Amino acid sequence: MLEARGLGKAFGALEVTRNVSLSLPAGARHAVVGPNGSGKTTLFNLLAGELRPDYGSVLLAGRDVTRLPPDMRARLGLARSFQRNNLFPDLSVRENLALALAIAQRRGAVFWRRFARLPGLAGDVEALARRLRLEDALGRRARSLAYGTQRQLELALALAGAPKVLLLDEPTAGMSAEETAAMTALIADLPRDIALLIVEHDMEVVFEIAQRVTVLDYGRVLIEGTPAEVRGSEAVRRRYLGERVP
Amino acid sequence: MSTGERRQHIVAALLLLAALAAWRFSGYAGEDRLGEIAVWAIFAMSLDLLVGYAGLVSLGHALFFGLGAYAMASLALFLKGSPSLALLAGVATAGLSALAIGAIVVRLAGVFFIMITLAFGQMGWAYFLRARAFGGIGGMSGVRQIDLGRLGLDLANPADFALIAIIAAALVYLLLALITASPFGRMLVALHQNEHRARALGLPVQRYKLAAFALAGALAGFAGGLQAQRTGFVSPELLVWTTSGEVLIMVILGGLGTLVGPVAGAAIWVVLRHILSDMTAYWMMAMGLFFIAVVLFAGGGLMGLARPRAAADDA
Repeated sequence: MLEARGLGKAFGALEVTRNVSLSLPAGARHAVVGPNGSGKTTLFNLLAGELRPDYGSVLLAGRDVTRLPPDMRARLGLARSFQRNNLFPDLSVRENLALALAIAQRRGAVFWRRFARLPGLAGDVEALARRLRLEDALGRRARSLAYGTQRQLELALALAGAPKVLLLDEPTAGMSAEETAAMTALIADLPRDIALLIVEHDMEVVFEIAQRVTVLDYGRVLIEGTPAEVRGSEAVRRRYLGERVP
Repeated sequence: MSTGERRQHIVAALLLLAALAAWRFSGYAGEDRLGEIAVWAIFAMSLDLLVGYAGLVSLGHALFFGLGAYAMASLALFLKGSPSLALLAGVATAGLSALAIGAIVVRLAGVFFIMITLAFGQMGWAYFLRARAFGGIGGMSGVRQIDLGRLGLDLANPADFALIAIIAAALVYLLLALITASPFGRMLVALHQNEHRARALGLPVQRYKLAAFALAGALAGFAGGLQAQRTGFVSPELLVWTTSGEVLIMVILGGLGTLVGPVAGAAIWVVLRHILSDMTAYWMMAMGLFFIAVVLFAGGGLMGLARPRAAADDA
């Protein structure tokens, strides 16, 4: 569904992404891990279209999207969440969801009808809110929500377009243990046909969700395999899991 | 309808009643003032769509005001065409120019957007300052007026012009209220709130900005055409950057993104300008002080004062 072929990106002399390849079939549960500065977010931005790679290509549902901007990739079925909450801060949760749904459903280019009366939109908002457990927050302003709830809304916006491919950038960043467990459950409940790529620091979350794991090291792929293979890898233990190998 | 929208419509209705009452009971000078306010109100509302809703701070909006006025005046003078068709042609000229210029400027954001709109505006001003065909620095006078004899109205008469201009302003308000509450208008608010997120969700952000820019340009052109009708005269002053600055002040003074606020801003600014310029040669300083006070003590402009605190904290 989503494929990266030998992606590379340098900022000046600093090579942040080096020859990275990934392949996510439909329904994939794939995690990217690595320490800060290993190029995870840059890889995400290359996949989402915020950055153009210096070399390599990105394929979305078999189509080469390397040169397409983020909004066109989104219209082709790619959605993403952000590491730092990226909401419509002064609008209510209801309006956040309604706008995301209207954008995803491409219903924005209408001048003569009231936005609030777009057929079916209110029902879609309710359904999305229920799915992400935001029903009680619908009337609240996004910026006034608790941090964990903002993270839920962040995920809700990404899901509004019923994407084929979902990129989640550290969905549990900054959350308490309890919030992390709730978020992990939400992610585990995502529709099975979505191809999911997740960047995550919390290894417990990674091992709970992912079927495949790519470990990045200085911008290149150190190892890719099943969680068990990655956990068993000596190189990974030495570099990232902080364990001394006897 | 949200409480904010309802408050907006109530204030708009009250302003319309006040304008009609003033029209009924004021003399010649007052009638002329009302016409002037109505024209600036249309101009200010068109800029509010850009600045208040789409978050595009233009410092060159007078370009389209001036283009509407010049197109209206020159078509009526040179081609001896019908002045009402010339007014429509002025709207089209301003709108199409805004579409062409917008295709370039909407690629830029923030201070670069401000500077490039300023540059385009000043290019327009510099052109009309020199262009002999359009009268150069002296502009053109004797703009023919639309014949409303069938309605028993004469636009050369300030009372009749004021009535028509007030009705035009009310119609523009209704049109923009419809548009800002539509899906298109909400998309503008979305890209203003968080352009990055709107794009990541799949919104073709530049196309929406361009549509807003062209629409705002066309309505500014309509205001410009009416201005040419009101004064019977066009000059490069219409396009100069301080005209863009003045209409931006009206919008901020009244309250960004409220439509009716800029109407009130236009009324207060025009009235204050006439009162203060009669009183003192330093009237611009007094206007400046007033503007500073409003910006400091009423962040949301005059409409911000009308909003109860609780609603501002949690909508």
